[in-house]
Amino acid sequence: MGQPIDLFAAASTEGAWTVGEVTRRARTVIEAGLPPLWVRGEIAGFKAWRSGHWYFSLRDTSAQLRCVMFAKQNFMLQAPTDGMQVFVFARPTLYEEKGDFQLTVLELLSTEQGGLWKLAFEKAKAALTKDGLLDPARKRRLPPFPRRIAVVTSPDGAALRDIEAVVARRWPIAELIVVPAQVQGAKAEASVCSALNRISRLPVDVVLLARGGGSVEDLWAFNSERVARAVAAMPMPVISAIGHETDVTLCDLVADLRAPTPSAAAEAATPDRAEVIAQCAVLGQRLARALRTASRHVVERLDRAGDRLIRGMDNRLEKSRALLTAHSARLDALSPLKVLGRGYAVARDEHGTILKRVAQLPSGKEFRLRVTDGEVDARVQ
Amino acid sequence: MPEFSKQLERLEAIVRRLEAEDLDLDEALKLFEEGVERLRVAREQLTQAELKVKKVLEIESPS
Repeated sequence: MGQPIDLFAAASTEGAWTVGEVTRRARTVIEAGLPPLWVRGEIAGFKAWRSGHWYFSLRDTSAQLRCVMFAKQNFMLQAPTDGMQVFVFARPTLYEEKGDFQLTVLELLSTEQGGLWKLAFEKAKAALTKDGLLDPARKRRLPPFPRRIAVVTSPDGAALRDIEAVVARRWPIAELIVVPAQVQGAKAEASVCSALNRISRLPVDVVLLARGGGSVEDLWAFNSERVARAVAAMPMPVISAIGHETDVTLCDLVADLRAPTPSAAAEAATPDRAEVIAQCAVLGQRLARALRTASRHVVERLDRAGDRLIRGMDNRLEKSRALLTAHSARLDALSPLKVLGRGYAVARDEHGTILKRVAQLPSGKEFRLRVTDGEVDARVQ
Repeated sequence: MPEFSKQLERLEAIVRRLEAEDLDLDEALKLFEEGVERLRVAREQLTQAELKVKKVLEIESPS
């Protein structure tokens, strides 16, 4: 036999638990023992409060569970209706104020349409398709050497740091224009739209719309039809870097390029400086070679012209030489020595004046007579 | 500073022209000089640039 329980001692101030202690302890036990899980059931007693929070029960034929879905989780969903079969992903907990066991719902999918979120997505996608905004032909080419790159992202997120690092390394010639925006939560839609709108009026070559990761529900702003339309309306190409591999958002579909990460988006937006420097070096070589070729052509032309000139001169010289020979032959024929050789003689007085007439030769006049091989003195008889 | 892509486009056009056409020396030299100058500016842009980051609020402030 054990010791009898001392009921009075257990009920004393020291022995009894307070209500708060029990609920806190129960909550700890529940939360530790039941991690977030998927639950299937039917919606009952659905009520949306003005705060945006949803309260409802999930039930099946044998039991029911109280559920709350807070506004920050449900703001992208269409409200479900009673009787709808749903899956919820929820964290079991104990609502200490009421002592109620309940589920804090993080995600809600209707079994009929594959989720309310999916339903809203498909509706928006259909509207965008109808307006031709998802046409692949709309996708624009990215500028090869962007001057200004705008970034819409959370100003303190890792996405911005990654983008800055990549652009600084690859293409620091560009100017990075950061337009801070809230990319998560209920205000994200308006914030992203206003940031895009601001950029559309700036002289920007390409826009990066980036989000540094996070949970699926945070993708909501990028699945908003309004944001997708704002992206489609941008006058310059937009690269989306929403950072979610599995879920393609509406923004991804509308953007000119979808990048898996912010860094990848920055790489896609920029040329590699080292490659461009190499490209410039090749252009420099071609420039030098082209000038060499051009000047060689000119030199060849000059050479040809020179040859012609020299040939021309040679001809002229040849002709001149022939002429000279002819002239000297004629000169030779006219030479007075030749005439003397034929037997003629020249009479000259003491001054060397040639005496050609009778009047110049009076009787007794002395003169000199030049014959072919010399001179002799002579006198007129 | 001229826009980089314009600079590179002009440079490529100069090289192509110099390569393809039978220019007189004067014109070839003029093109070559322009090409060298553009190449110098492009290199300078490529090597000396340091990324400028602006928050849009700075841009929006009245100037």
